[in-house]
Formats: sequence, C-alpha cells, structure tokens
Amino acid sequence: MTTVTRRPEAATLPAPARPPRKRGRGLLTIALFVLPALVLFLLLVVAPILVAIYASGFKWNGFGGLPTDFIGFDNFTRLFRSEIFTTDLWHLAVLVGLCVLVQLPLALGIAMLLNQRIRGRSLYRLIFFAPYVLSEVITAVLFSLILSPTSGLANEIIGIVGLESEWLSDPGTVLLSLFLVLTWKYFGFHMMIYLAGRQNIPEELIEAAKIDGAAGWKVFRHVTLPLLGPTIRISVFLSVIYTIQLFDLVWILTEGGPAHASETLAVTMFDVGFDRAQVGYASAISVVMFGLSLIFALGYQRFVMRRDLEGATTAMGDRR
Amino acid sequence: MRRTLALIAATVLVAGCGGGQSAAPETDTSGGAPQKVTLEWWHLSTADPLKTVYETRAKEFQAKYPHVTIKMTVLENEAYKSKVTTLTQSGKAPDLFATWGGGVLQQQIDAGLVKDVSADVAPVLDTFTKASLTAYQFDGKTYALPVDIGMVGFWYNKKLFEQAGITEPPTTWSAYLDAVTKLKTAGITPIALAGKEKWPGHYYWAYLAMRIAGLPALQQAGVDHDFTKPEFVQAGQRLKALVDLQPFQKGFLGASYSTPDGQAATVSNGKAAMELMGQWAPNVQNDNGKGLGDDLGFFPFPAVEGGKGTITEAFGGGGGMAVGADAPAEAIELLKFLTETGNHTKAVEKNAVLPVLKGEESAVKDPNLKVVADSLANATGFQLYLDQAYPPAVGAEVNDSVAELFAGAKTPEQVAADITEVAKSE
Amino acid sequence: MKRTTLPLHAIAWIVGAFILVPIVYALIGGFKSTDQLSVNPFGLPSPWNTGNYTDVLAEGSFWRQLWNSTFIAVLTTAVTVALSAMAAFVFARFAFRGRELLFTLFTAGLMFPFAVAILPIFVMLRTLNLLDNPWGVILVQAAFGLPLTIIILRGFFRSIPGEIEEAATLDGCGPFAFFWRILLPMARPALATVSVLAIVGSWNNFMLPLVVFSDELSWTLPLGIQQFQGQYSSDTSRILAYLVLAMVPALGFYALAERHLIGGLTAGATKG
Repeated sequence: MTTVTRRPEAATLPAPARPPRKRGRGLLTIALFVLPALVLFLLLVVAPILVAIYASGFKWNGFGGLPTDFIGFDNFTRLFRSEIFTTDLWHLAVLVGLCVLVQLPLALGIAMLLNQRIRGRSLYRLIFFAPYVLSEVITAVLFSLILSPTSGLANEIIGIVGLESEWLSDPGTVLLSLFLVLTWKYFGFHMMIYLAGRQNIPEELIEAAKIDGAAGWKVFRHVTLPLLGPTIRISVFLSVIYTIQLFDLVWILTEGGPAHASETLAVTMFDVGFDRAQVGYASAISVVMFGLSLIFALGYQRFVMRRDLEGATTAMGDRR
Repeated sequence: MRRTLALIAATVLVAGCGGGQSAAPETDTSGGAPQKVTLEWWHLSTADPLKTVYETRAKEFQAKYPHVTIKMTVLENEAYKSKVTTLTQSGKAPDLFATWGGGVLQQQIDAGLVKDVSADVAPVLDTFTKASLTAYQFDGKTYALPVDIGMVGFWYNKKLFEQAGITEPPTTWSAYLDAVTKLKTAGITPIALAGKEKWPGHYYWAYLAMRIAGLPALQQAGVDHDFTKPEFVQAGQRLKALVDLQPFQKGFLGASYSTPDGQAATVSNGKAAMELMGQWAPNVQNDNGKGLGDDLGFFPFPAVEGGKGTITEAFGGGGGMAVGADAPAEAIELLKFLTETGNHTKAVEKNAVLPVLKGEESAVKDPNLKVVADSLANATGFQLYLDQAYPPAVGAEVNDSVAELFAGAKTPEQVAADITEVAKSE
Repeated sequence: MKRTTLPLHAIAWIVGAFILVPIVYALIGGFKSTDQLSVNPFGLPSPWNTGNYTDVLAEGSFWRQLWNSTFIAVLTTAVTVALSAMAAFVFARFAFRGRELLFTLFTAGLMFPFAVAILPIFVMLRTLNLLDNPWGVILVQAAFGLPLTIIILRGFFRSIPGEIEEAATLDGCGPFAFFWRILLPMARPALATVSVLAIVGSWNNFMLPLVVFSDELSWTLPLGIQQFQGQYSSDTSRILAYLVLAMVPALGFYALAERHLIGGLTAGATKG
C-alpha cells in the first residue's frame, strides 16, 4: 500500500541538476518513519476495534479464548429494539443541543470579551481554562459533593434566593446538572479555541469594517463571526464526538441513573459488558458508537466543513 | 524500537505456546527450602475492623511460612467487581479472591478459572455450618470457603420508633406500612435508601417475592427463567405501595450507600428511622456517621398476609474466598488458615464477621449481631442475594428494574416481564 | 474607542466565580473538619485545621501516585510525540501511493475512544504481558494519542516552505538530518502544544490504569482519588484536601505551560 511513486525521469536521468523531488525518496525512509507509529496503531487501536466488531456477532460472556456462539446481527437488533438505546440517543441529542445552544455561545461570548483589552484578561483566561486541565475524576468527585441534595454547596447557594434542587438525584434535573458540570469543565477549552481563532483574524479586516462605520455588534455579526466559521465548526464537531463517547464523568457522578435518566451509550456499554458480562452485546454497542461517530464525522466533513481548509480545522483538537 | 518489536514478537510467541505459565506451582517441597511464592490475594474489605483483621492474618501467615509473600489488593466494592470481571474474562484469576458465590462464581467455574478445592478442604468441611457453605458448592464440589454469612433485615432507630409511637417492631407487612405512616406523621423520614447503587433496593423486591410467592417458587423461577407469575407482580405492587408513601430520604434516587450523605450515614446520624441492610450495617453506620449505639435495633423482614413465605425465612449472603485455578498450593493453605477455628473466631469477636463455623455463636458480642446470628441459625429457609444467585445479567436486570420501580419509571408488571426476558436470553 | 468596561468586567466576574467557587470550596473545605463543613459550608474555617492536608501529604501513597502519574505522563508524551513527528513528517513531505489512505486510517482513530475497546485492549495487553506494567498504559495511551498528534504536526510540517527543504538538501542534508536538525526545531511551538495535550490526557486518564493496574503500588492519581473516596467516604473534608492536592500538579503545570499551550494552539491554527 505504501509503494513509492517514482517519477520515471528521476529514475532514468542521471544526476539531476536540481535537488531531487520529494517524490523520489526511498521506500526505506518512509517505512522507517511510519512503521513505528503504524505498528503501535494497528496493534493497540485497530486490532481491538476489529476484535470488537468480530465479538459483536456472538453471544459471549467474555470468558474463554474466543467466542463460539455466533448469532449474526441479533445483538444489534436487540439493541435497536431496546428502550435504553432510544433513551441514550435522546440524552445524546439533549446534551449536544445544550452544548451548541448554550455552552458554545457562552464560550464564544467570553472569548470575544477576553479579546478586548480589559484589565486582567490574561488572569481570566488562565482561570477559565483551568478546569480543562483537571481530570474528570477530580471533577466528578468534587461535584458529587457539591451537588449533594442534603449537604451540598450548590443548594446552599441557590438557597439564598429560596430555591432548592435535588440535582443529580432527580430524574428531571439530572441531565441539566450533568450539563452544568460539563460546561464548568469544558467551556474554557472551547473559549480558547475561539480566542485562538479570533486572534488569527487579521486586525485590518476588523479595523476596515469599523472605518466603514459598522458598530460593534455589526462588526461581530458580519465580519468576525463569518471569519470564525471554521473554528466554530470544528468546536461543534469536537463537542459532538466527545458527547457520543461521554463516560468517566457520568460513571462517577450518576452511573447513568437515577433510573437511566442520565445514561449514555458508553455507560450502557460498560454496564452491559462489565456488570452483566454480556461482552458480545457490549461489543455491539461499541460498534454502534463507533459507527455513529464515523457517520457523523464523514457527514459533517462532507456537508459542513468542506468549505474549510483541509487540516487547518483539526489543528486544535482535544485528545478525545 | 526494533527491540520493542522483537520483544512483542517474543511475548506473543511465548504466550502462544506456553499457555498459563504464570502461576505454575513452584512449590517443589522435595528437599531443600521451598521456593519463594507470591500469593495474590484480592478482597474488598476496605473498612475496619475486617481490613485490619486481614492485614494481621497476612502477616501471621507470612511469619508461619517465610517463603510466602502475600500481595494484597484491596478495592472498594464497585471497583472490585469491575476489576475481577475484566481479569477473569482475560482468563486469569487471583490466587485467592473474595466471592459471593452463586451465579457469578458459577460462571467463573465454568470458564475453568476457579480451583475445585473439595479434596483439600474435606478434612475441615465439617467444621462449617451447612448454610454458610451452600453458595460455594456446585454438584457436590466445593469451590470456596465462607468467611462470613449473614442476612438482610431492618436496622432501625429505637428512639425514633418510640417518638412515632411504635412500641413493637412490625411483624406483618400491613403493620410495617402503618409504622411507616406513623413515622411520617411524626415528621421523621422512615427509610433511608441508596438509590444510585441499585443493589440495596433489590432487597425489598426479593424479600417481598419470598414472602408472597414463597421460597420454592422464587428458586423455581430462577430455574424456569419465568418471573411473570402473579405473585411476583404482586411483590412489585406491594413495593410500589410502599414507594407511593414516599418514605425515603430527600434525594434518595441519587444517594450512595456509604458516602457522607448516603444511606448508612442517614440512619447513623438519626436522619432516617431505618434501612434494609445486611449484617455489616452497624459497622458501616459507625464508619460513616455518629452511630446509634444502643438505639440501634434489628428486626426481620415482616411476613406478608396471605403470602406463602414465613418470617423465619432469611435472605442474605456472606463472603467467601475462592482459589484461582493456577494458584500455588499455598493459596489453599492461606484459605484454611483464615477460616480455621481460632483465627476466624477472633474475627467474629471483633464484630468483623458472623459465625460460619459450628459453635462460634457464643463469640458474637454485639447484641444486634447476636440477633442476626440467632435468626440465621434458626432460619427455616435461605435465599442468596438475587444479584449473586442468578447469572450476572439476570441479577443486574433485577437490580436495574427494581431501581426503576423505585423511580416510578417501570410498573410492577414491566419489572416481572423485563427480568423474565433477560433470564430467557441467558 | 474608549468605553466603560464595567459590564464586561461584571460578566467576566460572574463566569470567573462559577469556575472558581468549586475549587475554592474544596481548598477551604480541606481546612475544615467534616463536622464544620456540614454546619458551615460557606464561611472560613474556624479553627483552621491543617490536619487533612498534612495527613494526606504524610501518606506515602499520595507521593507514590504522584510519581506514577508523572512517570507515565512523561513517557507517554515522549512516545506519542516521537512516533507522531516521524509519521507526520512523512505524511507532510513525502508523496507516495496510499499516503492519504494511510493518513485517513490514522485520523479514523479519533472516532474511537479506548473506553469502547477496553476489553479487547485488555486481552491484547495480557497477550503482550503488559498488565500491571506501566508500559501497558503508556503504549495504549500513545497509540490512541497518535491520530490527533499526527494531524496537528502534519499541518505544521506542511506549512514550512519547500524552499527551506530545498536549501537544506543543497547543503547536503538527507531526510534524517533535515527532520532532526531543521524541521523539529522549527516545529517547537507545535511540539509544545501536542506535548501539553498528551501530558494532560495521560495525567487525567482513569479507565485504562484502572483495568491495567491491580497492584496498588502502580496506581496513578485518578485511581488514588477514586479509591480514597471509597475508603474515606465519610470524611468529606479529607476527600476535599486530597482533591486539592491532586489538582496542584495539574494546575501548576498548566500555569507554567499556558504560554506554550495557547501559543501552540494559535500557531497550529494559523499554520495548519
């Protein structure tokens, strides 16, 4: 698959006067540079994916060498018929919706704010991004204490204005509470992306618009926002992919409860695979998650991001 | 990098031909000092007194057998379960590990991961009470020895019951519902429940099913994979009637068992009048809150009028230790060491565990634990926790469905139907 | 154009409070006893009680976990960045058949979180004899870190003008020398970015170490936190102290690397 396309003239002409074209370099160099990464990737990323796909066709409790009880697509039909799957998808939609409609605009607004020359902006920037570097475990443990309905700080705070909530303990509020924690942790990341994107917009463009007499909001609406398009699109992309795979935080905060009210696909997968020892079924859920991510990514790139420069967009990604 | 690759290739080859070479018995006792052995011992007793008891035993054992090093892995409940699942699924088991027996152990046995210790423990088998052994014996073979056995019942706050004007612990379900109403009227939260953790909730459904359908019917349902009998639906309906009284603490759906505002702490700090819990409840209460001291009482799960079960039938379980299939012989020695009369009785005296050996009852000091031990000794029937007795998927579905019943997301009929569906798919 | 910045400050303050209150609550809560915390969650501790912090610091386990986390994070980063840089170099500056296909294969890895493949990975690690071995975590993290790192670095490497390479080649630089002596030094900001991302990712990883390490001696900080919470679940203020101490290295590192991170992000965005 990695055959070098040697240009015929490079092979036949003796000692070219110009330095050799890049294309003419040896297979050996390429192999030496790519193989280490490729081997690691094939062994620890691709092979497990293939194993998961393979296992999804079996009824398998995970014990013993390889599964033997082949059941075709039964795991998938069972999944698609199950209520929890629908619930998971609904939660995914709600969380993505909240992200796009609340978290990202907030991040964008704050980024624009911090782009102004307000005093202490580097301190603000430092603070807003800080939760991103904390682990989800720390975040989850901290918020499980804060959001406790009986002794938590959160109820003390909203108690000032006479409110009270059961936060993560109430099926009605658990998703919103989860979103609150997600926002706390991740809005700074998106803010940083926007800030970087904003700083890449040549100041002259903005100045020119201002000279043309456009007011602050108009400049933003008609100049800044369109120019931030690629950045916004990548930030939405990362949000969706992350939300499809959301696990650590939910697992520690709620285990998907109460009564599945905050369950995500990854939580269902973990529950089925580890608590119920139905590894074949769990693999099917993995495969669906993978498929969902892939379809979304391809569709998104095809229809939403195609205008953006290839590669430029992904340059600021999250590890997830 | 090339070295790494060679290494990877080598390990693949070795693993390919060698098989389970990891824990081959290296205890050639013929001549000379025995070879050094490391025992991996996994358990989940993160809380005292049991934690310290096990540490002491490990030290004593190492002193007795200097060639043995014990490597202890202690994980809290949830982490322990997932960790053991991943490990066993990868085809390996610790040398000695905590188990609840039942369907989960059965699955590990079927996968050839657990040693049949029948022959090794035959000489000591008679020292154990019969009830404590049942969860670990399959087809007449023994796969683990018990270290603890107990039952689930209501742990209640005598003072709060008195305040609500309840003089006697209820013995029937209607008297129980009365008591709940009285407590509510007196402004006391009747019951603490850890809704997030699901397993404490399943105790209610299981007991009601036992009391209404009777023990044989419940056991038969497990065999037939059929939980749709009207009695099981009734169990759900009775439970729903209790839930409808709203007897639980604020935020119970998200509450854990042993956190600062969890089920145990809520009872321990006098913020709820009772909890349905196993024999470890007093220890966990003391660990997580002020503790109730002499105000703590115990009563068995009430009988249901017209039901086929009786109040003397117990639901519960204990803890045992199983030996991994590839474990060295010393692991069995350690198992026997832990459960030999003197050592185990010491643990009982510390209120860490309940008697599993015959004649140990007198070692129980705590009056409440004495009630538990006596009820257990006089029990006319015994049912292991459903989430351990059944295969993991069925057990998890029981927990899950009942949790949804508590949250009002499933009807009693759906609970019965969903458990049946999963049981049939196994 | 001078305007009053008061409303801007007000918004920044509110958001800042939202971010800071939980952290400050943990910090101050760590100085209270659990009883104090339940009666007085808001106010300052009285008396200030340093016992929680000193107890945690006095425990060998905290320092051991700190060391394990550091060790794993550093090696993960080294492996990820080294392998990615090499691959990205080829993807950016060589033309060969199947290049885009291979590159797409790597990028597809972005779609696959290891949580999903945790069980097959576990089996794989067991086959390679890497369970209960830091390399088990390091190599898997590196493997899953490759896609993003390669994408970022390829973008950066591409942006370096061809003339530089041609000049280097004229000076007699082979591809290795060009890569090592010219490309890598030029790519420092991008390398800093991907390193920071790799460190943060490794530092915060929970599920992988959870399944790989059964030996308490190998645990990383996130595992330690979860276990600590299980063990001292009743002692809220002590958990808070542990959380705060576990945050310190991450926040400290962030304060130091912030410039690299942001500078790198910006550079990556423009050059990509």
